[in-house]
Amino acid sequence: MLRQSPFISALLCVAALSACSDNSTTVAVDSAEEAAVPVSQPFKATDPASVRTAEYSVERNAYFGDLHVHTMYSFDAFIFGTTSSPDDAYEFAKGGSITHPAGFSMSLQTPLDFYGVTDHAFYLGVLREMADPNSELSKHPVAAGMDSLGGAAERGVKFREVLGFLRGPDGDELNDPEVGMSAWSEIVAAANRHNDPGTFTTFIGYEYTATASDGGNLHRNVIFRGDTAPNLPFSRLDSSNPEDLWDWMDGLRDQGMDSLAIPHNSNGSNGNMFMLTDNSGRPLDDAYASQRMRNEPLVEITQVKGTSDTHPALSPNDEWADFEIMPFMVASTLASQPDGSYVRQAFLNGLRMQAEDGINPYKFGVIGSSDTHNATYAGEEFDYWSKVGLRDSDGILRGSVPMLEPNSAGDIYVDTYFDTWSAAGLAGVWAEENTRESIYDGFRRKETFGTSGTRMKVRFFGGYDLPAADDPDMLAKSYSGGVSMGGDLIGEASRAPSFIAWVAKAPDSAPLDRVQIIKGWVEDGETREEVYDVACSGGPLDPLTSRCPDNGARVNLSDCSLTNGSGAPELRASWRDPNFDPDQHAFYYVRGLENPTCRWSTWDAIRAGVEPNPNLQPTIQERIWSSPIWVTPQL
Amino acid sequence: MASDVLFRQPLIWFFFIGLFLFIADSQIGDDRREIVITDALRDRLATLWTTQTGLVATEAEVNSLVDNWVKEEVLYREALRLGLDEEDSIVRRRLVQKLGFIAESEPIPAPEIGELEAFYQQHIDDYTLPVRYSLQHLYFQTIESAQQALTQIEQGVSSRDFGEPSMLNPSFAYRSALELNATFGADFAGQIADFPIVSWQGPVQSGFGFHLVFLNAIHPEQITPLEAIGQQVNEDYRRARQLEARDLYIENLLQQYIISVELQ
Repeated sequence: MLRQSPFISALLCVAALSACSDNSTTVAVDSAEEAAVPVSQPFKATDPASVRTAEYSVERNAYFGDLHVHTMYSFDAFIFGTTSSPDDAYEFAKGGSITHPAGFSMSLQTPLDFYGVTDHAFYLGVLREMADPNSELSKHPVAAGMDSLGGAAERGVKFREVLGFLRGPDGDELNDPEVGMSAWSEIVAAANRHNDPGTFTTFIGYEYTATASDGGNLHRNVIFRGDTAPNLPFSRLDSSNPEDLWDWMDGLRDQGMDSLAIPHNSNGSNGNMFMLTDNSGRPLDDAYASQRMRNEPLVEITQVKGTSDTHPALSPNDEWADFEIMPFMVASTLASQPDGSYVRQAFLNGLRMQAEDGINPYKFGVIGSSDTHNATYAGEEFDYWSKVGLRDSDGILRGSVPMLEPNSAGDIYVDTYFDTWSAAGLAGVWAEENTRESIYDGFRRKETFGTSGTRMKVRFFGGYDLPAADDPDMLAKSYSGGVSMGGDLIGEASRAPSFIAWVAKAPDSAPLDRVQIIKGWVEDGETREEVYDVACSGGPLDPLTSRCPDNGARVNLSDCSLTNGSGAPELRASWRDPNFDPDQHAFYYVRGLENPTCRWSTWDAIRAGVEPNPNLQPTIQERIWSSPIWVTPQL
Repeated sequence: MASDVLFRQPLIWFFFIGLFLFIADSQIGDDRREIVITDALRDRLATLWTTQTGLVATEAEVNSLVDNWVKEEVLYREALRLGLDEEDSIVRRRLVQKLGFIAESEPIPAPEIGELEAFYQQHIDDYTLPVRYSLQHLYFQTIESAQQALTQIEQGVSSRDFGEPSMLNPSFAYRSALELNATFGADFAGQIADFPIVSWQGPVQSGFGFHLVFLNAIHPEQITPLEAIGQQVNEDYRRARQLEARDLYIENLLQQYIISVELQ
């Protein structure tokens, strides 16, 4: 009788680097074929870095994209009726069209420059499998009815049932690495197939969908730099602690596989996204801060599920703070507490830690993205299809148009949280050229910005030797004499740095209203913030209030037409902080505001021939946020 | 004779032969199934061990590997015997995938240059760049200032004296209509498509205001020569052949089946 050796089996498992699921103790014999599944093989030779594309510019170009896109492989997207594949998603981003499960066609007026499919890693592809009556998974009680889901209400109920089960103690029953690996290899292959240096960039990515114990959202999108990826993504089934995700990413980086994680919907985190302690309640230390910043240089500041810049309760003196606030925890109607949930406050808390302990775990840049679950970017107010398939595919379901008749409680509009959602989020980056390497390196530099959906652009420089804002050689001189957004300045005792803030309108949206610089600083151990208008379209700045005059722009709510003649195509300003103190830690970022335009809910109402829902904002001031520039006192 | 007729029936012959085989088997047979451990298997497991651990397997290790393999093989065969592979979508997908790999992994001979040339011609659209424009432009917020500038430029004043600052690059090289519209706004490219080259024209309206445009060149649709993208054509060719091989393989298999639709 031969001796059994579980140790050797385990070794073989590890050595084969393939997932050793519980029921296959010896995958070793299989490993030759596993290797034939080209998950971690490059599909397409990357151009050597020395080859530059036609558009290459040392002064960098702005590129627009969406790094948060779900397809049929996401458990929830499938329940919502989405049957579009990663291939379909990339074709759409390049200018193709996709048919919404409700039957209408979706396409973009202007194709995007880059796109990243980021399906939920947990239960990747599993729901699709459940709907196949021949699969083992279809026999699970949760799968009942999965192959014959009906309308919005039924899908909503099923979504909550499945989500409840997945998050529960028995959620593991539905995990199937085989199914996941098959879907993941498709996702990787699709990204590599559609990457076209110089024209269109794709990223291999996925969503890490962890939740805090109180239901607060800890979701992140993981984006890979290269064309290879591990056999399976690290999911919440591996650990719900984001610090474990960072360990995994650190390990991959040691093997030459760089990635970054981008938190999103901090607004729905109930204070968990930007805590002042680590996941187990210990105070933050240098190791935590450097690991977090190594892995999370960017945060999604806006998306369909609301904007996370700041909240009126946190920024009572910011008149524009009440913008597309989504007040709930994700996928619920429970309130999410603002404290610890918004980007500006995280910047401020990071500064204070920097001042007190010399660490800053919240020194990140910003982007926008959509979080579409229809595979289709969803940032256009006038052509809005929201993001959860058949659950929110028309005005009635989204609460912008009255129900056909009031319900038994006498409500005219459907009781839903979809009306707190936005047509949003674009990711912007300054990069030399439209290639994976160049754009990814822009992410790493934090030379990024986010918009609420329109293609505004922002340049932002800080330094001691900046040229005049209208210098014809301004860009070259600013790059050589200062830093761009995402960068650091050291405070000099003898002089204050200057800043150049420059915003251009979107070619196909409204003119600009004003450009602002938002300053945060630490004074006597307290965090402070101030909003300065720095460039106005409607007349000179009032030096006492630091506010622009009203530029007179109005929207006609009967047809969404705009008043002519107000607003500017571009605004730029050279600016010095009137209260600069070289001994204070500070950050500065730009916010640019468009003139008001109709919100998606108003477009819905006009098309349905009804009055806009009086409970919703009829117009929106689309906006752009740059990553900050940080100023640190000289030691 | 009746018995003659009977013995000429093939069915009867089959019956007797079958009976003989059955009896013979039950006399000499052992209903236990056999698993043969060949030297080849031992070598294979040992080699695998070496490639995975970098160590040469000892005799004991090989025995242990074989032991594990046998146990797994028994479970595997038993599972097959019980029909656990049937109607299991994962097993089904895996088998289909494997056969797909086999069908696709038929070595594809490197194409003759003529073949590659023909493939390239058949898919010439994939290797053709659209009409592109190289241009300079001057930006103005109002149509009046653009018009005035054009008048003066036409009277001989240098174009360098005009234009307002903007975030747009002052010149663009080799941009398609789609790319120009993404930069300037939806209707831009259509307005300049018929402009004469090497002269200031306009004003043209964009999402930002008004522009005078100087077309350096209109680059007609351009076919990328095979020599320049031979590698990509080669890859596309291989991919197409692989898919063809797979389709052909399925087509041949289909010949061996009768597909019928059961009507209610």
